Formats: sequence, structure tokens, C-alpha cells
Amino acid sequence: MQKWDELEKSSFLDANARQRAIGMTDKGSFTELLGPRDRFTSPHLPVLGTAVEFDDGMVTGVGRIGKHPVFVISMEGKFIGGAIGEVNGGKMVGTIRLAEKAAARIKKEHPDEYAARRPLVVISFETGGVRLHEANAGLLAHAEVMDAFQDCRHKLPIVCVVGSKVGCFGGMGFVAAATDVIIMNEQGRIGLTGPEVIEQEMGKEEFDASNKALVYRTTGAKQKYIMGDCNYLVEDTIGSFYQAIVDVADKPMAEIEKMRRIGSVKLAEEQMGLVKLVGDMQPKDAMDLWKYYGNEKPEELPELSTAEFLKVVKCRVRN
Amino acid sequence: MALQTLNFEFQAETPETMTKEWSHLGVTGSGDLEVLMEKKNLGGKVQAKVVTPVKGFDEVWRRMLGKFVNDCQVGDVSIEINDDNATPIVVYMRLRQAWAEASEKEAE
Repeated sequence: MQKWDELEKSSFLDANARQRAIGMTDKGSFTELLGPRDRFTSPHLPVLGTAVEFDDGMVTGVGRIGKHPVFVISMEGKFIGGAIGEVNGGKMVGTIRLAEKAAARIKKEHPDEYAARRPLVVISFETGGVRLHEANAGLLAHAEVMDAFQDCRHKLPIVCVVGSKVGCFGGMGFVAAATDVIIMNEQGRIGLTGPEVIEQEMGKEEFDASNKALVYRTTGAKQKYIMGDCNYLVEDTIGSFYQAIVDVADKPMAEIEKMRRIGSVKLAEEQMGLVKLVGDMQPKDAMDLWKYYGNEKPEELPELSTAEFLKVVKCRVRN
Repeated sequence: MALQTLNFEFQAETPETMTKEWSHLGVTGSGDLEVLMEKKNLGGKVQAKVVTPVKGFDEVWRRMLGKFVNDCQVGDVSIEINDDNATPIVVYMRLRQAWAEASEKEAE
């Protein structure tokens, strides 16, 4: 394993789940829970003749950022596309519940210092959603994660990180939308139905999954940033993600609540407003919306580096 | 259909064990594998357990693992592998990488 300082400079996209988990917390602070040596493999995969992994494709553990305990969930896309089954789903739920318990304990033991010691949950999504080999358990895990999010609401932030090759799709696309804060690099993608599946079901005329430029400007981080679905757009280094998480760790809960996309009547109305807008204007491409929000030359935006993009981009203004 | 579990035992001539108590490397991705090595008192021997979906390659596994144990003179180590259709040369490379990490002197 590389040293922490090297990890911070290296690409988030190219890193594995464990490197990301270590690099998103303070140097030397990460402790893995249910790691490979515990051999918590899926009980369903062997009978189907599918290879197993000792950590079931998910790194979970706890680290620190300053005085804040950071509960990390990091998915590994190379193992069955990061899909969620019984064991890794259970690890995910368990980690969030642990953070919730830690928050209650810190509030009790350090009532005056809660803001400075408030825990946070950081989830690096790299998944296509439910693992079809164990789909019922996988779906149940999705529901339990959403429940756990709801119980953490207003108490501690749930941070979603997307910067991997697989992106975040399927049921986990819903889960990502239900978090408080979303951090992405330019290569990150979030969606519900994956591009290939749309093409398969609706035809190439509807969505050409082999057109990478189209895929990225529809599901990619720049589109999400313009629409307000992504709160932080960062460079592709583990250190950049770490810095964004440091920023979130110290923010008041009221401010974090403002970054949410769903979860209140007002936010639901805001989303319905977007649905109406799209219905009225009938955009043919994400670029039509970029233009609507004041970007005079939307076709130039995909070509810009992250830093240049952030300087010139005009985003949807949220009220 | 079901996954296969293969067990092997090896003995090098002048074996040396690993420095770390345990070490893990790799991901069970398509065409790849993960390796878990643990220091274990086996009287100088090496135990290897391979879990793989591929049938009929027991002899290839024995040779590849045997070559690794002899090339690196490994002893008193338990090796566990989760494989997903890795080719023999990938297996050998991952074993060497895992061994390099397991025998790293400086602990972070």
C-alpha cells in the first residue's frame, strides 16, 4: 500500500476502494471494520458458481478528520460491478447505524462541543445497484440504507462521493440522491437506468450508449453541477476529495441541509418545477438546459478542465 | 456450477517467512484475483487454498503456486486466493506482488 501522502496526490478514478477509504480520512487514522481477514464473503455466490471476495466488494471502517469521526463506506467496482448484495449491503447499513450511535454518544458526553466533534458518514459509490445473484437481499439493503439516512437527518451529514469508473447507477442512484452532500470529479456519473440499458430497451435513436460525449453530458458531473445535483466538483485526486470532505465536516447542519435535493415539501416542489420546465421546453440535449441557465456557448463546457469550468460556468440558481 | 475449492501444500528448500502478520492484495475482478497471506507456524511449509469458478486446472494451479514458493523460498505462510478466471501469469504476478507487500520491512 502506498503512503498516505502519495495517495493524496494520486488519481481517485484509478484507485481501489481501500486506497480511497484511507485517503479520505486523516493520515494514519483509518481502521477497517470487517476487512478481508474476517472473510465475510457472500453465502449466495458460491452455489451460483460466481467468484467471491473476502470483503464482499466493500471497504468499511472509521477514521478521523480533526476531531470528527468519519465513518467510511467505499465500494469496489471491479468486483461484480460494485453491486449490492446481502453482506456488503449489511456492512453499509451497519456502518451508518454505527455513526448514528456515535453521534448520540458524543452529544451526551460532549454536549457543548458537539459541532466540533460531530461524526459524518462518507460513502464512495461505485455500483450499478442491486446484485442480481441475491436481488431480494440487495433491494432490502437499499431500503434499510434509506431508513438509516432518514434517522441521521439533522444530526450528522451523509456525504456521497462519486469519482469512479463504474459511476453510481440503478437503485444506488436513488440512494445517492437521498444523501446530504454530493462530491464528484469530472469522471463521476450518477443516474438511475444505465446508458446501455436505456439503449437496449428504447433503441439507439433514444440514447446512444456508445456516444461517450453524450453519456457524460447527460449523466456526468458537469451536468450534475449545473443542475445543482452535485455540490462540489473537484479535481481527480484523492486529496481533492479529502479537502471537500474537510470543508463539509465543519459546516453547520443548517447549511448542510440547504445542499440537499430531496426530503422536504419545498424541495419536492422545486423538483416538480424542474419536471415542468423540461416538459415546457422539451430539451433535446443537456446542452439546451445549460444554455437556458445562461451558458452562452454550452458546447464548449465539456472541453474545459475542471478549474476552467468552475470559473466560467453558470448554474441553476436555487431559491 | 458451484465454486471449486483446491488445497495444496508446498515445501521450499531454504524457506523464510513473511515480516508482517498478514497481508492482503488485489480484487476478485474479472480475469483477476485477490490474495490473503498470513504468517502461520507450519514447520516451514506453505498451505494454499484456492477458490475458483474454473474447473480442470488443478495441475496448473499446483505448478504456478509451486513455482512461486520455490522462486521466493516462502515458508510458514498460509495463502488464500479468491480467483475469477485469472490466467496463470496474472496469478504468478499477483503472488509476487503480495509477497513483496507481505515482506515489506518498514511498517507505516
